[in-house]
Formats: sequence, structure tokens, C-alpha cells
Amino acid sequence: MRTITALMYRNIKLFTRNRLQLILLLIMPYFYLYLISTIFKSVSINDSMNYVLAGIVIIVVFQTSLNIATSTIEDISSGYMKEVLVSPVKRVEIAIGQILSSTTIASFQGILILIIGYFFGMKYTTPITPLAIIAFMILIGIVFSSFGLFLAASVKNAQTFQIISVAVTTPITFLCGVYVPLSLLPNGLQFLSLFNPMTYATAFFRALSLEKLSVSADELVAQELAFKIGNYVITPQMSVIIVALFGLIFIILSTIVFSKVDFTRVTRPSGNKDIFQQ
Amino acid sequence: MTMPIIVVEDFVKKYGSFTAVDHVSFTVETGSIFAFLGPNGAGKSTTISTLCTIMDKTSGNLLIDGNDIATDKNAVRNVIGVVFQDSTLDYKMTVEENLNMHCVFYNVPKSIVDERIDLVLNIVNLSKWKKAMVSSLSGGMKRRVEIARSLLHIPKVLFLDEPTTGLDPQTRANIWEYILKLQKERNMTIFLTTHYMEEAEISDKVAIIDHGKIIAFDEPSELKKQYTKDIAEIITSNERGLEKLLEKYQMGYKKRGNVYVVEVNEVASFLEMVGEHKKIIISLEVKKGTLNDVFLKITGRDIRRQSNANDNSSYV
Repeated sequence: MRTITALMYRNIKLFTRNRLQLILLLIMPYFYLYLISTIFKSVSINDSMNYVLAGIVIIVVFQTSLNIATSTIEDISSGYMKEVLVSPVKRVEIAIGQILSSTTIASFQGILILIIGYFFGMKYTTPITPLAIIAFMILIGIVFSSFGLFLAASVKNAQTFQIISVAVTTPITFLCGVYVPLSLLPNGLQFLSLFNPMTYATAFFRALSLEKLSVSADELVAQELAFKIGNYVITPQMSVIIVALFGLIFIILSTIVFSKVDFTRVTRPSGNKDIFQQ
Repeated sequence: MTMPIIVVEDFVKKYGSFTAVDHVSFTVETGSIFAFLGPNGAGKSTTISTLCTIMDKTSGNLLIDGNDIATDKNAVRNVIGVVFQDSTLDYKMTVEENLNMHCVFYNVPKSIVDERIDLVLNIVNLSKWKKAMVSSLSGGMKRRVEIARSLLHIPKVLFLDEPTTGLDPQTRANIWEYILKLQKERNMTIFLTTHYMEEAEISDKVAIIDHGKIIAFDEPSELKKQYTKDIAEIITSNERGLEKLLEKYQMGYKKRGNVYVVEVNEVASFLEMVGEHKKIIISLEVKKGTLNDVFLKITGRDIRRQSNANDNSSYV
């Protein structure tokens, strides 16, 4: 427990020390909001501003939680991970500490954007909605932090990771309906988007923050908050379950991989001789 | 002698078909300094990494303080401190934060963490730099932070993988002063790998490793006695006369420029002999054999290409 809290303290401190990153992360969402809310007006979505903002909030939570992977890779290539690994600390504790700190940062980021969004007209009718929103952001944070940790522990190498990271995040980001309405995508990509966990995370989060969880199935489908596969409708409620299942798989996978992986045979940046190449 | 704190029996480590460490066995006594000497790629770091539990062995038995490194990893990790060859500091945090994290990892009781941090910083003379970011420190200071950190949990065995490589002689001397003080005060065992001969020479035991095999294992003085001879370098005003003299005493010599290099068996009687003919001697220097010479003798190769400030003792 002491390790987990200490790791969280460390990572959150590192995050706050990087002021520029913090400011950019706050400004960028509003830049995108301005850029894409007009696109969504064209596809007959009600309240397009808040609809887009909700999507952006959840994609920021997703992106911020994936930063865990970058920071873990940094710790591996800077050598710091070795200090951690020769200590008697359990690796599972390290994995949990990393996941929770990344979740905290991601949720904090999401909340900040929502607070600014409040002044843009993002209003709720019951106080339960903001609480549920925070709870869901934490869930998404945990899910994608685990996913990120799994990627980092599997790849280990900074250069390879950059390529993998782009290859993985680009489709997830663009095929989830946040930046481009799914109905504007070609059929093939629309089909692919159904395999993207962020599609369901986005749909549920929008339904939740626009307080549309109880409207009819047809309207949900029209607003791209539910998905029709043949005659079968995936409701926002089912979306949560899909996301949670995806998360569960990666929580288990990431802790297993992180505990088992051999960090000693990591290629370090050139010019930085590793003791194991001795 | 007490029970050995490190026991290595028939240790083998293979990477695919390449054998990095080949059936190595040795023991290290509690409270002693043990030096592992050998060229790059000899298997030093592989052995250290395996003893430190971060690399798996292929076969063999390795025990530290009675705990098996393969099955009792945590028991081993609790009693060892490690300074790796490459820095493992957290550069984005301050010195104090680095030390604090270490205390958390090693479960040093919260109530004594601050006291411990002050203690180790005092040892390495960095108390003033407690709040400094690690990235702002010089190379030598970083090394000292790393050594301080490895002492926080008061390990029984301290592994130092080339601890002073790249440091200036003064810093090196300081670091050694601290390490030796600690070793005496706490009866700590030190397991060292090094390129520097003078560092190996202060050890109680030296193991010379090459191509994954231990080729010599003894006290430094014994190794030198066994494998090296003292060397005398003579410059003379009468080359013919000196050559005759050396031939008379049946001493082999080599000529390097105008310097005669002579292997000396008995320094005292040699000096006596030279003393009788001091008129023809312009200069005389007697060099003790070094561990580098030992290595050279056994393998026929130099331990490092560039020479170090060797431990030369001169007479005359």
C-alpha cells in the first residue's frame, strides 16, 4: 500500500512539474471543440456543442491514461526501472501504482475540461450526473491505463513504442465517433469501429452527460449513442459492460506481463551502454 | 572464518547457444571485499545481475546469506544493495525524493526515514544538495547519490558494478574512503567489479574471469606472487658493462630504447648487486607486479587497452 501511494505521489508530482503539458492539455480540447462542432451540426445531432464536448472529454481521458505507457517506457530506458526491480517490492504493486496514478491524472484532466465546459453550457439536471460522470472517467482511466501498461511492458523499447503507439491510438481515436461522426465513415470503417472499445466508451459517456440514458432505442441509434447490428441494438448500458470487460482483460494481462517480463534485456538508446551488453 | 555470505556453485548462464558464464563456483566471506576482475564481455555483469535476482540463471546454485536467489528472491533483495554500472537514478526528482522512494521500496520504517536520509547524505557529503534535482548534479555527485541510496536500508552485501568508472581521482578516493569506513563499521560484504587495478588491490580476494570462466582466485598479493615478477628498468652509461653483468648473474633482459628491462626475483639481493656497480647506473626503477600483469600472464592479453594509473612502487 505504501508503495502504491508513493508511486502515485511521484507520478502526480512529475505531471504537475510539466506545466507546459498541463496548459496544452487544457487548451487543445477547446481548439478541437471549435474545429469540429460544425461537422456534427451537419449530421442532425441535437445539441451538437455538448455532444462534441462530451466526446472530447472522454478522448482526453483516454489519451492521458495512455501516457502511462510513455512514462513507463521512460523509466525503463532511463534505467530507473532497474532500481525498482532489484528492490523487494512486488511487481504487482508497481503495476497497480502506475495504473492508479495514471487514472488519477486522466480523471483530473477530464474534470478540468468539464468545469470549463460548464461555462460553455454543459449543464446537468440532477447532481447524480456529474458524480456518475466522474465514476465513469475513473473506469475509463483504469481500463486504458492497463491497456497502456500492457503495451509498454510488451514493447519495452522507446523507438518501437513510438511506432506502435501511433499505430494503436490513431484508429482508436478516429474510429470512435469523437472527431468524425460514425455515420460519415465508409461502411468498412463503420464496421471496424464496432470493434473499438472507445466507440462504446464514447457512446455511453455522451448518453450519460447529455442525460439521454432513458430515451427510446430509435432515438439513441439516430444520435449514435446506441448501435444497431442487424436487428440487435447495443444500448449504452451494454456499452459499459463491453468497456468493463475489455478493461478486465487488460488489467489481468498488464499485471501478468509486467510481473513476468524480463526488463534486463532492454535495448538502451545508443551511446548509453547497458551493463548487460558488457 | 564465519560462514560465507555468498555461495556460487557451478553457475551457468546461457544466452541461446552462447555461454556467458561457464560453470563458475566461488564463495565470499562475510565482511570481506571481493573483486571481480576481467575484460568486457567476460561475464562479470551477468554474474552480478544474476546474484541481484534480476536475471535468471540457466543452472547452478547461488545463495546469498543462506537464501537461494531463484526461490527466495525477496529475502535476497532485502539484504543486498546494488550500485549498477549505469545510473538508475530518477532524474526528474530531487535527491531527497529519490532517497525517499528507496526507503518505501525497502520498507524502511517511516519514523526513521528522515534520519536515515540525513545519515547517508552525510556519508557522501551531499547534505547541502538534498533538495536539488538529480538532473542538475555533476557525474560524480550522481554517483555519490547512488551509493548513498544503496546504503539506506543497511544492506549486508553491497554490489558495486564499476562504481567509480568515469570519476576523477579525488572523487574516486572519497567514495572509497566512505565505502571502506562503512564496510568496517557494519561488517558489510562488498562485491565489486572494476577495471581499476588499485581498486582490486584493496580487496581481500580477487577472482579473475575471462570468457565466462574463473581463471584465478586468490588474495591479490598471492596472485601477484604467483604470476608476476618485479621489474627493474635501468638506464646505464656503459651498456656493454651492464649486459655482461646481467649475463653473469643469469638475468634475462629486454632492451626498450636505451632502457634495460630486467625481471627481478629478489629485490634485496638485486639492489645489492646493482649497488656494487652504481658507477655505470644512470637511473634505476623497480616496479612491483600488478594485477594487470597477472591477467596478462594468464591470458596473454591486456585487461584494457589503455593503461591505468597502475599501482607502481618505485625504489631508489
